[in-house]
Amino acid sequence: MKTYLAKRFLLVIPTLLGITLLTYALVRLAPGDPVEAMIRAQAGDINPRVFANEADAIRARLGLKNYNLWGKDPQKIDALEKVVNVFYGYGRWMSHMLRGDFGESMKYKTSDGRKSPPALFWERAGITIPLNLVAEVAIFVIAIPVGLAAARRRGGFFDQFSTIVLLGLYSVPTILAGTVLIGFLGRGGLGLEWFPVAGLHTSAAETMGWAAYVKDLLWHVALPIACMVYGGLAYLAKLGRASLLENLRADYVRTARAKGLPEGRVVYHHAFRNSLLPMITTMVMTLPGLIGGSVIVETIFSIHGMGLLMVGAAQARDLSVIVFGTLVYGALTLLSLVVGDILYAWADPRIRYE
Amino acid sequence: MSESAKAGATGASRTYGAIVWGQLRKRPSAMVSLGVIVLLALVAILAPFIAGEVPIRWVENGRVSWPIFRYLSNGEYAAMLGFALVLLAPITVRLLRRRARLGGRSACGEISQSGRGRRAHRAGTGGWRWAFLAHLAIWVAVAISLVAWRDPERRYGFYLERAAQAESAWFPLVAYPQNPGYRELEFKEQPPSWEHPLGTGRLGDDVLLRILYGARTAMTIGFVAVGIGTAIGVVLGAMSGYFGGRTDLVLMRITEIFICVPGLILIIIALTVISAAWLPPLWTVVIVIGLTGWMWAYRLMRAELLRIRSEDYMTAARALGIPTWRLLLRHAVPNGMAPILVGATFGVAGAVFLEASLAFLGLVQTPSWGEMLNDGRQHLEYWWVWASAGGAIFLTVFVYNLLGEAIRDAIDPRLKI
Repeated sequence: MKTYLAKRFLLVIPTLLGITLLTYALVRLAPGDPVEAMIRAQAGDINPRVFANEADAIRARLGLKNYNLWGKDPQKIDALEKVVNVFYGYGRWMSHMLRGDFGESMKYKTSDGRKSPPALFWERAGITIPLNLVAEVAIFVIAIPVGLAAARRRGGFFDQFSTIVLLGLYSVPTILAGTVLIGFLGRGGLGLEWFPVAGLHTSAAETMGWAAYVKDLLWHVALPIACMVYGGLAYLAKLGRASLLENLRADYVRTARAKGLPEGRVVYHHAFRNSLLPMITTMVMTLPGLIGGSVIVETIFSIHGMGLLMVGAAQARDLSVIVFGTLVYGALTLLSLVVGDILYAWADPRIRYE
Repeated sequence: MSESAKAGATGASRTYGAIVWGQLRKRPSAMVSLGVIVLLALVAILAPFIAGEVPIRWVENGRVSWPIFRYLSNGEYAAMLGFALVLLAPITVRLLRRRARLGGRSACGEISQSGRGRRAHRAGTGGWRWAFLAHLAIWVAVAISLVAWRDPERRYGFYLERAAQAESAWFPLVAYPQNPGYRELEFKEQPPSWEHPLGTGRLGDDVLLRILYGARTAMTIGFVAVGIGTAIGVVLGAMSGYFGGRTDLVLMRITEIFICVPGLILIIIALTVISAAWLPPLWTVVIVIGLTGWMWAYRLMRAELLRIRSEDYMTAARALGIPTWRLLLRHAVPNGMAPILVGATFGVAGAVFLEASLAFLGLVQTPSWGEMLNDGRQHLEYWWVWASAGGAIFLTVFVYNLLGEAIRDAIDPRLKI
């Protein structure tokens, strides 16, 4: 086990290098010039030649400058030079990163004006992570009883009904769910106007007491969390049903029944515990995805979280934010894969890793 | 010749595919979803016959013409023919196989008795080869004749304006321009009516028409993008699982890299890299979704080949001296395709979702359901726009998920009691 873990952690290094190099190279090699676009966005539609020197200075500072290496014509940089520049820039980024300098964002600032990607992500994490954790807990709390009830009476009315409903829920696009929720429950103008439809606080939130503040927050996040929950809920309930069915057919369950144990104890103590494991492992493995993947919900409900930051950065080709985000996401994914493996081995002694 | 040898030689024993198909036919949900998928594909391919502005039949000054057949593009003809041939494939194969069986029975018997199983095996599956060649010949002939015959220069609005001059005109069910101009603006934002069964949108566009043409985008992305992804995943996964060792280590790292980059970010960046002027936006999206969505197929195929590699029939085939490529192509990969089939079915649903998300974030500009949904979201009071688009996405994804579940139940023996 120890050698296995050591091996796994050593193999993480080339993967992380590959991830950052892949994103870095793709962003750098994409046609078009993000710095020019940034200057245009800030200074209006001006002739970029006027700002050529400033643009060059910005590029050099951000590590985006393409150097002319074999100096025939300083205005022209051929394809090979571009590739060499990508590797040079990547090496520069790496050496800065190892010293704790992740560069600066072209587009985003924190509320106190810092531009470094870790600060940006840290600020957004305070919004995204609690939201996702609540959603995750809600998924578990609803999915387990549903899966359990469906599996206990296989082929019964509830089983068939819940299978169809869950499959239906699983097939509803988040955009449609968000639209319907806003339209009918929120202030979308179609029905009940129970919930607010944008942001996390009302404008007066600063002056509220903490109880009112929490109530206000819950009132604001109810719809986004509903949007995040329904898909994962359907997936997890289906998984739980299949897993419990498999365990209920296992030999040890037959043994437990043959011993004359009461049915409730057989199901809850023997089968259910074993079937919980794949559910937990799946959830662990989807955690990083949830953190980065709620872009749609964040867009619909105007919540400025991490997903929106990453997508906005990718669209503006904000190199340092993209590469830092990918690095964090990649590290978390790899970690969750390893944790998933360990969980399997911990819960099932038959599994051995060499 | 014994009965069993005869059965083996003539291919009468049931193949794995036939067993799965037999299981699938017993499930109503599978049959219903399959029917809806065929219907969706039909609608997507025949969209110009159902909605559009080009008449099917046109009589003017006593002259009869069929304008729509000159208006359809090469791609549309190719899709129509391809679909027809796919639907007819089982019949063709059965006919060709029967002919091969009738013609080669005595020869097959002799060969199998002399112990050369490979030749007999080939006679059994020969039908597929002939069917494939026949299909290919038809495609090529039709493509050549189309390029030579058709007149793709057709102005928009031409026939609708002159409809009064025609003695008789058969228009599609929804006779309305696909790209509405200023004249159609007076029809904007109308609720469903007989003229516009699903209402009209912000620019006076017919919602039903957009839904029908959006089905094309969804189907293209579903089939082609998932096809690309599956092909990449199967090839890499087969190599990784079969050769193992260093190949496996390197391919695993590459897959891990692709898994660890957040999918949407990778797609956004890849869209800016791949987008080129000569490539239509739809195909850019298809290629990007295909190139970034192959990891599931890799994992499944790798796991299957790790299992298959040590099976008895692989050892037997290796002992016969069959070359490695043939071993992989004819013996290993086909036996590992079952989980891939399930994954691909779910993958189509996922790709339709993904396209909707990309359109929603404003990253792709193709006429699609996702774009309509995003469009309708801005004006919730015109509910028919977003409800139609959302309903179309829901139905498609639901049907594919239903089919995927059914195939998995049919294949996975653990769920069969």
